Amino acid sequence: MSAAAPARRSFRAADLLSWWPAWLLFALVLCALFAPWLAPMDPDRQNLLARLKAPGFEARGAVYHLGSDELGRDVLSRLIYGARISLSVAVLSVLLSGVVGVTVGMAAGYLRGWTETVLMRLVDIFLSIPAILLAIITVAVLGPGFVNVILVLALTRWPRYARVAYGQTLAIAERPFVRLSRAMGASPARVIAVHILPNIVGPLLVVATLEFGLMVLFEAGLSFLGLGVQPPTASWGSMLSTGRNYLATAWWIATFPGLALFLLVLSANMIGDRLSDRIGKG
Amino acid sequence: MTLLSVSDLTIEAGPPGDRLRLVDGVSLSVKAGETVALVGESGSGKSLTALSILGLLGEGLTPTAGRILFDGRDLATLAPEELRRLRGADLAMIFQEPVSSLNPLVTVGDQVAESLIVHGRASGAEARERAVEMLKRVGIPEPARRARQLPTELSGGMCQRVMIAAALISRPRLLIADEPTTALDVTIQAQILDLLAELGAEAGTAILLITHDMGVVAETADRVCVMYGGRVVEEAAAVPLFAAPRHPYTGMLLRTIPRLDQPPKRALYSIAGNVPSPRDWPEGCRFRTRCTRADAACTALPPLDAAGEGDRRAACFHPLEGPQ
Repeated sequence: MSAAAPARRSFRAADLLSWWPAWLLFALVLCALFAPWLAPMDPDRQNLLARLKAPGFEARGAVYHLGSDELGRDVLSRLIYGARISLSVAVLSVLLSGVVGVTVGMAAGYLRGWTETVLMRLVDIFLSIPAILLAIITVAVLGPGFVNVILVLALTRWPRYARVAYGQTLAIAERPFVRLSRAMGASPARVIAVHILPNIVGPLLVVATLEFGLMVLFEAGLSFLGLGVQPPTASWGSMLSTGRNYLATAWWIATFPGLALFLLVLSANMIGDRLSDRIGKG
Repeated sequence: MTLLSVSDLTIEAGPPGDRLRLVDGVSLSVKAGETVALVGESGSGKSLTALSILGLLGEGLTPTAGRILFDGRDLATLAPEELRRLRGADLAMIFQEPVSSLNPLVTVGDQVAESLIVHGRASGAEARERAVEMLKRVGIPEPARRARQLPTELSGGMCQRVMIAAALISRPRLLIADEPTTALDVTIQAQILDLLAELGAEAGTAILLITHDMGVVAETADRVCVMYGGRVVEEAAAVPLFAAPRHPYTGMLLRTIPRLDQPPKRALYSIAGNVPSPRDWPEGCRFRTRCTRADAACTALPPLDAAGEGDRRAACFHPLEGPQ
């Protein structure tokens, strides 16, 4: 990885457009942040007279732009509020699993010896268990809910970061500048934090971006199974789950959260691919 | 006063049971303020000897025998934390590849200030100020601007100056310089050596200079230790060593220096054969397979004081006599 600044190119409209995944993600983040102002209705307010109405339905002066669900709640408003759940679960679980995984991986890669053996075998064990299965079992034990979902996702996903951080740390620790900083009397903690971590941020960022998309899907999956965020809180996964029952009569209930999930995960993965092309494989 | 004394240092590689001896009973000493050159070809064990003084041997390498006394303290008995406090403060080291020895993502100034910060001798603005001052002392133009740059924006010679600045900012009592000029242009080499000598003398820093270049030795060293095959084969003050080497290996090393006072187009002298790998070290004298003077007696290992007088010693049963 070179620290030299890349040659500056003039920005053209095509460049901006080619970054559409980033723009889309940005738009979703705005939706989540400003949900109370953007959503046309209260996402939890039921109107049993306006059940299962098609997109564009109007009742008492309010327009259901994307239709209404089985309890007469506005699908668009629930979609906008649902973005909060999807994004916050994904961001927080990526942060938590990243911090844990990177700490473990770097400690194993730098300290070597027993630390390395114990930590990396633990990583192997975790990686050998199917992640979604582990998540389902743990949620079933801990009970569903926002915080538990994040904890469970972090618990199942930290080994990915540990693996990458471990490998990268091994490579960087061999570099002469690490030896020099040790010769200067830097402590292991300082060598890891000041000299190694900044040099491995790139590949970790790639992993985090790809994991972000996966976390969105996992959260939706858990909510779909009723193990995620509990009703009446809007979550794309639970919207899909109930919408499934009405697919033949009210296609919009499941279709729009499905589409939103698809676009969010797609843009996260595309950003991840872009980053990995630039930075090197994670 | 002896600052550093290494005695019978042995370093082995590999797992117990299948150990490979890379450094075999090396002894050397450095007095306060003195410059000692440790000379030898690649694979002679000189860099390992240096790294073990700082306790920085890599994974799989173990010092299995010997003692290293620094300022009267046995470094092997120090806790890792105590040794760490010595490194960068009293005991500094610079390395061969100046560019890759600097962190590409940390500014030059911060890297020069590293040992001050690590050892809590200065912080923030003061450390940065002293780093700029040190950069100026090692002859870097526009030090304040350079301090804010990344190493990739500097040339190799400049990076070596930066490393020297970083090593000397804490005024260490011993600086170990592992091939500090090998990666540099010849014109820069002399500048760097002069700088080391000048700053070393100014701070009263003793220097252990590791090199394979006899020309570098002649320019800087007070005393010389010649290593071959993991052992010290000759030790002497620089002037008598150059005038009259005793060990045949030293004699051959000196003859490899190209000379301008000889007829041109004469083939450059080279020592026949290669340094044997540690697995193939011969029984007895390690050099005997390449030595013209070897005979049956050389199948026994010659001790370092097999030949020599006064404070010079050579590990040879058939030493050279007189100027070569």
